[in-house]
Amino acid sequence: MEIEDLKELWKQQAERFEPRNANELAAMIRRNSTDIVARLTRSVWFELGLTLVAAVAFLIYALRLPTGSLKGISISILLAFCGYCIYYIKKLTILQKFRRRDDDLKANLTWLVKNLSSYLRFYRRSYTILYPVYFLLGLLFAALERDFDTFYSLITQPTTIIIVVSIAAIFYFVSTWFTDWYLKKLYGNHLTRLENLLRDLEHA
Amino acid sequence: MTRDKETFLRLINTHQGLIHKVCIMYENDRERRNDLFQEIVLQLWKSFPGFRGDAKITTWMYRIALNTAISAYRKQSREVQTQDLDETHQNIGDVDAYEHNDENLRRLQWAIRQLSDIERAMIMMALDEVPYEEIAETMGITQNNVRVRMNRIREKLRKLLVIGHGD
Repeated sequence: MEIEDLKELWKQQAERFEPRNANELAAMIRRNSTDIVARLTRSVWFELGLTLVAAVAFLIYALRLPTGSLKGISISILLAFCGYCIYYIKKLTILQKFRRRDDDLKANLTWLVKNLSSYLRFYRRSYTILYPVYFLLGLLFAALERDFDTFYSLITQPTTIIIVVSIAAIFYFVSTWFTDWYLKKLYGNHLTRLENLLRDLEHA
Repeated sequence: MTRDKETFLRLINTHQGLIHKVCIMYENDRERRNDLFQEIVLQLWKSFPGFRGDAKITTWMYRIALNTAISAYRKQSREVQTQDLDETHQNIGDVDAYEHNDENLRRLQWAIRQLSDIERAMIMMALDEVPYEEIAETMGITQNNVRVRMNRIREKLRKLLVIGHGD
């Protein structure tokens, strides 16, 4: 069968589609996009909003506290919230760069691969930094719960040092492994697929 | 309704067959095909202000539709590749719009679905008589590359259609 014969056959199917009416089409342009970038952007906006609301509530609570360890903890949590806000804004900035649809297929795929890779790198790096911060915050809260001198004498004992370092190492490796697994599961396969498509186009 | 919106909807209404074809070639499941259709219309609408009319409307539509379909996030990206002719029959046959499809058309659809995403995009445009120059422009490759690849695709399709006929 030659391509010319197939063209005739191909044309026939156009007459068999159930056409969408104007109202259906108009409704489609009012809906939210379901593409990966739009989904990621919506989820980051949601997290940013939630963090801001929690930060304001925490600020009101912290301002009412008398000076003391609880106020110290509240301020350190507030600082963590500020860090998170910067993190979400950076994520949104990266996601904004994804928005290109009218390029040719190769340019669009190149752009997507580049930006999705940098987004995942940023995601991974930020969690690599955040996990030790969580760990240190945990130690700080433990110190504040006991009095500082008792905590200091306990933490400087060789056995305690070995235990803390071992827990820190396990915590770091498990959390890094989990982040890698999570990212691969969510977006890694999609990225690999895009890379393969690009390779397919480049080796035409 | 704004003038732009009216013009856009009229254009989509006239050329919606193109979107249907892209959807049926890139999604098996009826629901997901419907989602893809809606997503393509939305992406076309978002890109419409940038459409200056220096390209043919169908070329512009193909570019957006293929970009949307090919780069869409799919949980089971291999699903399309592993489908057999019977499944194609079921997946296409259960849609009201395709109930009159004849065997040859179904076989052609099945054969195209066995090709890679990129090859599928190229053959679809070729079957719609899009000139090689515009296929090259849409894909971002040279006309010479289009020619070479089209020869390979034609050969693959020929073999697939023979297999499909044997079924």
